[in-house]
Amino acid sequence: MKKSIIILLLITSVVITSCTSTAPVLKSVAYKGMYDEKPLVALIMPPINRSTNIDAKEYFHSTIYTPIADAGYYVIPPFLSMEIMKKESAFDAELFINSPLNKFSEVFGADIAVFTIIHKWDKSSIGSNVSVEIEYIIKSTRTNEVLYTRRGEIKYDTSVSTGLGGIGGLVANLAVSAANTAAAKYVDVARICNYYILKDLPAGKYSQNNGTDGALFAGANKFKVNLSAQ
Amino acid sequence: MKRIILIITIVSLTSCSAPTNLYTWNKYENSSYNFLKNTNETTSNKLSEEYKKIIKKQKGIRGEVPPGVYADYGFLLLQSNNMAQAREMLQKEIELYPESKVFIERIIKLTE
Repeated sequence: MKKSIIILLLITSVVITSCTSTAPVLKSVAYKGMYDEKPLVALIMPPINRSTNIDAKEYFHSTIYTPIADAGYYVIPPFLSMEIMKKESAFDAELFINSPLNKFSEVFGADIAVFTIIHKWDKSSIGSNVSVEIEYIIKSTRTNEVLYTRRGEIKYDTSVSTGLGGIGGLVANLAVSAANTAAAKYVDVARICNYYILKDLPAGKYSQNNGTDGALFAGANKFKVNLSAQ
Repeated sequence: MKRIILIITIVSLTSCSAPTNLYTWNKYENSSYNFLKNTNETTSNKLSEEYKKIIKKQKGIRGEVPPGVYADYGFLLLQSNNMAQAREMLQKEIELYPESKVFIERIIKLTE
C-alpha cells in the first residue's frame, strides 16, 4: 500500500505554487531539536479539527500513525492510548497544545506529542477536488519545545482516468480501491497529506537513515501544493 | 549477450521486490477508520483480521511487527474479554519494544 502511495506521489503532477524564498537549510538545522533530543516514543494526540467538515478528524486520526512508525519511531498504540485519554478526560488536544506535557511522559513514556490541526477540509461540489490546510506540531514532552512544525495547503484532485496501463495502472488500482466509498477516498486523501507533510520527519531509531539524514535539505515549513492523480 | 540480459533481468527483479518501507500495513488504515468512525462487532473483527495479517507477514525493510500492533490487537482482545490472549499480546509488545514498558505495564496491571 505504502509503495503505491510513494509511486503515486512520484508520478502525480506536483506543482509547488508557492514556497518560502529563503535558501534551503539542512534538516539538522531546520529540526535541530529533534536531532538534539533524539526522541524515540511518539504519542499521537487526537487531531484538532477547526475545519467545517466533522469527519476530517477521523480521516486524519486513522492515517497519522503509519507514517510516523515508518519514519522509525515507536508510536504509542493509538487505540489503547485513545481509550486511556478518553478515560482521563484528556481527549481534547486543544487543552494541551499550550500546556505542560510532562504528564504524557509519565503516563505513556512519550518523548514527543504529535499535534495535528486541521484548518481546512473543503471538497468541491462534485466531490473530486479536496482542499486541505493542515498543520503538524511536534512538541517535546520533557522541555515543551516545538521540535518540528510544518503547515501545508494541499489541493488534491481525486479523479483518475480509467484504463491506464503501465505505471498509470497502479494509480488506477489505487483509485479503484479508494472509490469503493466516499469515506475510503477521503481516507486516502488524508493518508497522502500525512505522508507528504511528514516525509521531512528526521529518521527515527528504527530507520536505516537514522543518524545520516540530517545532511539532507529540509522542505519548506509552509507550502502550497497541488497533487493530482492524473 | 545472454549473460547481460540475465544480469539485467536479475537486477530488475531484485529492485522490483526490494522493500521500500520499514513495515507493511495491508488495509490497516481503512479498517482503522471504519473502527474509529463506527465501533461495533463487524468493524472490530475486521480490524482484528488486519492485525493478524500484519503480525503474520511483514514484507518491510525491518521484517518486524510494527510498533503498537501487538498492543492494539491486545486491546481488541481485551474488549472481547479474551484476557489471556490479550495479556500475551501486551507482553509481546514489551518484548519487541522495551520502550513501551511504561505504558503497557500500566495496562496489564489494569487487567489484573
